[in-house]
Amino acid sequence: MKKIEAIVQPFKMEEVKEALKGIGIDGITISEVRGHGRQKGHKEVYRGQEYNVDLLPKVKFELVISDSRLNEVLDTITAAARSGKIGDGKIFVFDVAEVIRIRNGDRGELAI
Amino acid sequence: MTEQEIRYQFFLTRDATKAIASRTLRVDDLVRHAWEQQMAPAVKGPIALLAVGGYGRRELFPCSDIDLLILTPDQNSLAAIKEPLSLFLRDLWDQNLRISQSVHDPLDCNQIDSSNAELAVSLLDRRLLAGDESLFRKIRDPRPDLGRNIVELTKARHSQFNNTIYHLEPNVKDSPGGLRDLQVLRWLSKLGAGDQDDLGDGIPVLFEIRCFLHYLAGRDDNKFSFDRQDEIAELIGAASPEDLMRQYYRAVRGIARLANRRLERFEAKRSSLFSQFRDRTARLSNSEFSVLHGTVFFRSTLALESDPGIILRLYDFVGRHGLPLATDTCDRVERSIDGFKAWVGKNQPVWGAFLEILQQPHAAKAVRAMHESHVLEVIFPELLEMDALVIRDFYHRYTVDEHTLVAIETVLGLRDQKDDGFAELALETPDLDLLIVALLFHDVGKAAPGEGHTVVSQRIAESALKRTGIGERELGVVCFLIGAHLELSAAMNGRDLSDPTTIRDVAAKTATMERLKLLTLLTYGDISAVNPAAMTPWRRQLLWKLYTETYAELTRELTARTPLPEVHGNAERRHFLTGLPPRYFRTHTNAEIDEHLKLEHEARGQGVAVSLVKSTAWVLTVVAGDRRFLFASIAATLSSFGFNILKAEAFSNAHGTVIDTFTFADPARNLELNPDEAKQVTRTIVRVLNGEITVDHLMTRRPQVKPDMRALAAARTTFDNQASPSATLIELVTQDRPGLLYDVAARISERGGNIEVVLVDTEAKKAIDVFYVTKGGVKLSDEEARELTAAVSEVARGL
Repeated sequence: MKKIEAIVQPFKMEEVKEALKGIGIDGITISEVRGHGRQKGHKEVYRGQEYNVDLLPKVKFELVISDSRLNEVLDTITAAARSGKIGDGKIFVFDVAEVIRIRNGDRGELAI
Repeated sequence: MTEQEIRYQFFLTRDATKAIASRTLRVDDLVRHAWEQQMAPAVKGPIALLAVGGYGRRELFPCSDIDLLILTPDQNSLAAIKEPLSLFLRDLWDQNLRISQSVHDPLDCNQIDSSNAELAVSLLDRRLLAGDESLFRKIRDPRPDLGRNIVELTKARHSQFNNTIYHLEPNVKDSPGGLRDLQVLRWLSKLGAGDQDDLGDGIPVLFEIRCFLHYLAGRDDNKFSFDRQDEIAELIGAASPEDLMRQYYRAVRGIARLANRRLERFEAKRSSLFSQFRDRTARLSNSEFSVLHGTVFFRSTLALESDPGIILRLYDFVGRHGLPLATDTCDRVERSIDGFKAWVGKNQPVWGAFLEILQQPHAAKAVRAMHESHVLEVIFPELLEMDALVIRDFYHRYTVDEHTLVAIETVLGLRDQKDDGFAELALETPDLDLLIVALLFHDVGKAAPGEGHTVVSQRIAESALKRTGIGERELGVVCFLIGAHLELSAAMNGRDLSDPTTIRDVAAKTATMERLKLLTLLTYGDISAVNPAAMTPWRRQLLWKLYTETYAELTRELTARTPLPEVHGNAERRHFLTGLPPRYFRTHTNAEIDEHLKLEHEARGQGVAVSLVKSTAWVLTVVAGDRRFLFASIAATLSSFGFNILKAEAFSNAHGTVIDTFTFADPARNLELNPDEAKQVTRTIVRVLNGEITVDHLMTRRPQVKPDMRALAAARTTFDNQASPSATLIELVTQDRPGLLYDVAARISERGGNIEVVLVDTEAKKAIDVFYVTKGGVKLSDEEARELTAAVSEVARGL
């Protein structure tokens, strides 16, 4: 199983959500986050003045899926979240050791 | 039966209708049981449980959602059922059922407005599962107005799929012609908008495919992907995946046609009587045909029986005015098809009448209409061979018959475009009617395996056209076009168009300017009709260049038109130009040479100079001192940014200065959307060439492409020592992947080969690359060419 965290532009949230729904992914956690990427990530002193970095609003998707669906989900998120411009966001993929449904103790893929 | 038993039975019998009915019965039991356990004892007042949507219809596919509607008398009773309802749903969840539930009262259900149209539609298939029957009876049948919502929803859905059934990986539920359209037809019938149609064999095919898709994916997945096409074809013992897809397209084509007609008729009914009177097209009516709100009808119901030849005049009328046939007219034509067949048999030659249809301004519409009602196939039964024929190469989007129709529409549509060279060609060419005939037959030989399809198509066309009485000159033109229909594409994709040999070769094959024009238009239509994105600006430019150069060759203007730039200017310029091959002068203007000179200046300081500009595609020019793997490294760097190289050229002068130009496409529009990206690209090239970054490191940025063993096994590498007087051509066809060009270029450099020109064509997942290679300034000996080809072949086969 894999956990996917995708940080995307807020205006792409609906598109990503619908695209995931379209391929049958129902379990998603979405949160509003703030952050910045590499381009604006470093504080620099430029001509004697400190270069200020603003935190930009983004939307974070979190979902856990079976290994077999990883590529399909990554392709779907990438296609839906892409505008082509800097700041489209990033996707992180993690290995998941275990999933447990608290109510009845279901484990593994059954509990996703 | 358990889920496993139903599945087992389905795989054994392939009876999808039975499988979905059995699953409905099983789910009915589970749902009723949970209701008895949780809801019945806990809820005091009236309440009802309804099955709606697909479940209501008793068509529960293996992984379909189970649509339940819980009906309460009014909003006030909601609080009391909340707790037992959640236990009821939990029980079903624990049975592994995917439930989609909603709670409504009869008032909601009986209200039709655009906000709850989907609810109203799902209620068309309602069924009482448990609970209070009198409450259930309070739901009235939706009013016929609902039809309007259904039509709107259907149109919106169709437009999501570009209004075509032709998708390489269609969705069997939502694509036009899919199962959803089948429901639309049934719903509109229930609402009194038309009769229940005879949908023929389409339904079982779609049901079966969807059952397989669900079972194989283990979820509600309706995408008929390439992998699934392979798997299902094998499971059902189809001759091939193509054969399975042919069945699929035939099934959805029938459903799509009925659905579209029904939508049209629904729209027509809505338009007021007054607007019918105002309808200006009505004045086009003549003694045989009348036009009523924009569609064509027979004036007399008996005309068809007494004179089946009227059918040809009908399509002549369609071609003249560009109006569609009324549904009733289509039905009549289809019912009289046998009579027409006998009439054609007795009334040959029909060639003259047929050609007249093709000369009408809306000939493309007439041809499509004739194909849809099979009239075309009565005149030329040979065309049945390509009916719904699938060519499955991940690139052709359409079946062969659809490809043919789109090609015809594209060529004839050119005439309406302004300020365009191809449009002018189409307007000034007198034999467009013969071009349509050639297009009709150009791929008909694809159904026959073995022999090349051009030869077979030509042979079939010849016998078919002779039967209808074609003239000798006309037959000559048509046969030439069919026989040569791949020549221009082959030259564009695999030959250096700046090499006079290529142009002379094409000129010899086309022989006259009239034929060249026709062949150019045919090629334009043929490429455009492969898929909607196939005619890229780059290909368009190549085809135009090939046409103009060949035209000049045919009129013997070539040398006069493009004089070689003189080697003039100061000593520095002459020094730079010394030793560059004639090809360099042929392909560059003086301004470009000045630009190269400027880059050479820059390169003296840092070893490398790079420029990146946009024309039809992006063009990168690198000037540097010669070094090993220069060409390969640039190719790899461009791939690492996700660019697709279209063409690359390498030149070197007598002093070891190399000028490499790469023409490439940027499919993700990175350069266009991010102004800083161009700097990033040129900077990276300089760093790679200066050895600061390795190519391998760069390539880790690209996604890995899974090797396709079949594509790699089918990879071809060949050489041609005749096509060019100055270089050996090595051609390879293999699975495309990032870095392929780098690997091949590196292999050629390792063996001491010099790459002069590379032409790259990619068709979906397939790369077709042609390398013009020299060694020590001349072409390779046959022995050397064979050795190098073997080495390149290893790369192509992924070894």
